Amino acid sequence: MNAIASGEFWVFVGVIAGIYTLLGLGIQLEFGFAGLLNFGHVAFMAIGAYTMAILTVKAGLSMWLSAGLGVLAAAAAGIVLGLPTLRLRADYFAIVTIAFGEIVRYVATNEDGLTGGSQGTINLAGPGQASEYNGSWERFQTWLQHALHVGSSDVAMLLVVWAAALALTALLAASARTPWSRVLKSIREDEDVAASLGKNVFAYKLQALALGSAAAGLAGCFFAWQFSFFSPGDFAPLLTFFAWMIVILGGLGRPWSVPVGALMLGVIYAGTRFFDFPPFSYFDSAERAYLRLIVIGVVIIGLVLFRPQGVLGRREELVLE
Amino acid sequence: MRSAPILAVDALSRRFGAVRAVDGASFEVEPGSITSLIGPNGAGKSTLFNVVSGLLSPDSGRVVFEGQRIDGRPPHRIARLGLVRTFQNARALTRLSVLDNLALAAPQQPGERLSTLLVAPGAARRHESETRARARELLELVRLDSHADALAATLSGGQRKLLDFARALMARPRLLLMDEPLAGVNPTLRLQLLDHIDAVRAEGGVTVVLVEHDLDAVMRVSDRVVVMSGGRVIAAGAPAEVRADAAVVDAYLGTDG
Repeated sequence: MNAIASGEFWVFVGVIAGIYTLLGLGIQLEFGFAGLLNFGHVAFMAIGAYTMAILTVKAGLSMWLSAGLGVLAAAAAGIVLGLPTLRLRADYFAIVTIAFGEIVRYVATNEDGLTGGSQGTINLAGPGQASEYNGSWERFQTWLQHALHVGSSDVAMLLVVWAAALALTALLAASARTPWSRVLKSIREDEDVAASLGKNVFAYKLQALALGSAAAGLAGCFFAWQFSFFSPGDFAPLLTFFAWMIVILGGLGRPWSVPVGALMLGVIYAGTRFFDFPPFSYFDSAERAYLRLIVIGVVIIGLVLFRPQGVLGRREELVLE
Repeated sequence: MRSAPILAVDALSRRFGAVRAVDGASFEVEPGSITSLIGPNGAGKSTLFNVVSGLLSPDSGRVVFEGQRIDGRPPHRIARLGLVRTFQNARALTRLSVLDNLALAAPQQPGERLSTLLVAPGAARRHESETRARARELLELVRLDSHADALAATLSGGQRKLLDFARALMARPRLLLMDEPLAGVNPTLRLQLLDHIDAVRAEGGVTVVLVEHDLDAVMRVSDRVVVMSGGRVIAAGAPAEVRADAAVVDAYLGTDG
């Protein structure tokens, strides 16, 4: 196929991988550092995206301000979710987060007046009125394209997403060497010990959840800018598990493993589109789409068998006793 | 020796369903002493430790530490007052380095606050290098310095006990609760650990409360022995007095007939 050789296509894959990196960084902080089982991560991405779009279209705020508020809203949602639930045992917390993810998606689907409902943000301004939230973004992309003399505005997008993703990864990597993350990791290992040494376990968990959610909120803004319209269906639980796969593929507790894992996931996911030779050609393209998930599953099983620490992880950290 | 007690446990009770694990236990601990808590399995010693250190809340009764009531307070607040505990099974933080296990325990670290890291990263870094230096000193004391950069998962059971002890010291305790510090530790290490405990009391002015099954060791190091059975304190006094107490003999030997 010529698509596999098309630069445009791989630019798209790169943008998605950058957005997934931002999403994965949240899980790396929450689980890789603090040991929190958050299975509703995608909800914070949705909150970031919707807050940005709604404030731009309905409140007439500048898109940039709306994006900042979107990230803050995601962080605030993390705090609201965490306050009553972070004292729960790890597995109960996990269950609550799954429910939270679904609740956010259902609210977005059913609150037509606020979110545009199941048709998505195309409906934001109300029936019959086209709405757009990313005019400023497209102007910015075009400006950047010319400023940097890159071939297309998509390449400009790629650069912006990855600049953000790598900056945030670097920030997480810098924080990994601080006493602050040492406390998070001690909570991951044994929260009774952390508490008995004077650490306020609940406050640290809340910080991890708020910051991880803010990263997801930022991912949501980029997601919204990449696609001119989005709908609640874009924030299915599968996306949460993509973030988890990225962290597992790359390596737990290692900040730089997140962009690596995100690129792996992006390439595997997109690359499987080109399985148009036997035996894959015996399936039609819709059936082949499902093969991607199977391939990702097989890769993860292989990794767990042969390199359980992930691509960049430390094997000795798997000794749990 | 009639100064105000550093720790006073008064009519403390804690139930699990129908089981009264601690059932009206009372005792006091003199500042600067080594007090041992002994008693048969199921006497409520570990539960009592968990209540005093805040990991469990009491059903009734009071715990007073240095004149302040602490019962029902969260464990991190109790630890910050200077009441620090170790664990029966040592509970090393296995995927942190040995050094980080200790450094974690230092109180009031500016680098543990995100706001400080953003506003005054230099101060946080200076404090951190002091913390690490002190952690290395304590590792030398318990002879784990050669393992400083290894993951705590690589330590043996006995070494983990030493790690837990050094980690508790790192928290600068005024009262140290040690839950079976000698269990699973080989005889050579036992003597070492007992020497350390004695030194910490003598030089650091740290008051120590031990839960321990090794009665020889208990009788040798303790100033005072508190005997529990069935969730209550059945005897307390100097080691020699307790050894002669009929109720104690009964609690240890009588039930088997």
